[in-house]
Amino acid sequence: MSDAPPEHNPTQAPVEPLYTHPASPFMRTESNLPPMVAGSPGPTPPAMQVQSTWVTYRSQIEIGLALLAYMMLLIGSVTLLRANPQASWRYVVAVVPVLPAALVVFLFVRRLSQTDELQKRIQTEAFAFALGGTALLTFTYGFLEGAGMPHLNWTFILPLIAGLWGIGTAIFTFRYR
Amino acid sequence: MKNRLRVLRAELDWSQADLAQRLGVSRQTVNAIETGKYDPSLPLAFSLARTFKRRIEEIFEAEPRQKVGG
Repeated sequence: MSDAPPEHNPTQAPVEPLYTHPASPFMRTESNLPPMVAGSPGPTPPAMQVQSTWVTYRSQIEIGLALLAYMMLLIGSVTLLRANPQASWRYVVAVVPVLPAALVVFLFVRRLSQTDELQKRIQTEAFAFALGGTALLTFTYGFLEGAGMPHLNWTFILPLIAGLWGIGTAIFTFRYR
Repeated sequence: MKNRLRVLRAELDWSQADLAQRLGVSRQTVNAIETGKYDPSLPLAFSLARTFKRRIEEIFEAEPRQKVGG
């Protein structure tokens, strides 16, 4: 046995790459078919239809863009109100971010109605978990506030619901695995 | 609920994803039905029966005195 590296043979054809392109969200990467062996039929093409990123992740992209619009309008609205605290149009500007937020709700409900029956069940259970958990935690903190803990802002409730909903989705998805 | 989905699927050499695509549900749903963790709705059970060209009773088997909802 010698430790010499294998000799490079320039007459040998280079090894074919596995795929025609690097992985890309914009281009379908076909696999290079293995060379045909005499007498054997070629591999059958896959029956599954490969769909584009837009078809597969349409609602995620839409909800992401709506959230982006919400954040942009929120920052714009807060900036405008800070600069003009006494303007007559301040109430109108203050509620403008609600429009993209309503769009997020609409897209989310539409997405939910398009999912299949198991996903609907998982989401129902996750929402129940979030509702129950939020009720328990807010009640607990309410009692603690009565006993002298500092008052917390109402805006903490929505992130709490969202967080518990995420945890619930993970738990119930895992349960049906 | 016990079922013969895995066997029927193997007979046709379909993957879970193939079956899911034919039924119009996610692969996770097919997996959950196969492992008995989720009982399909009546419409989905009928569409399973149509896909395999069998009666529902030939695919699913109710256990005696089964807890509902399990």
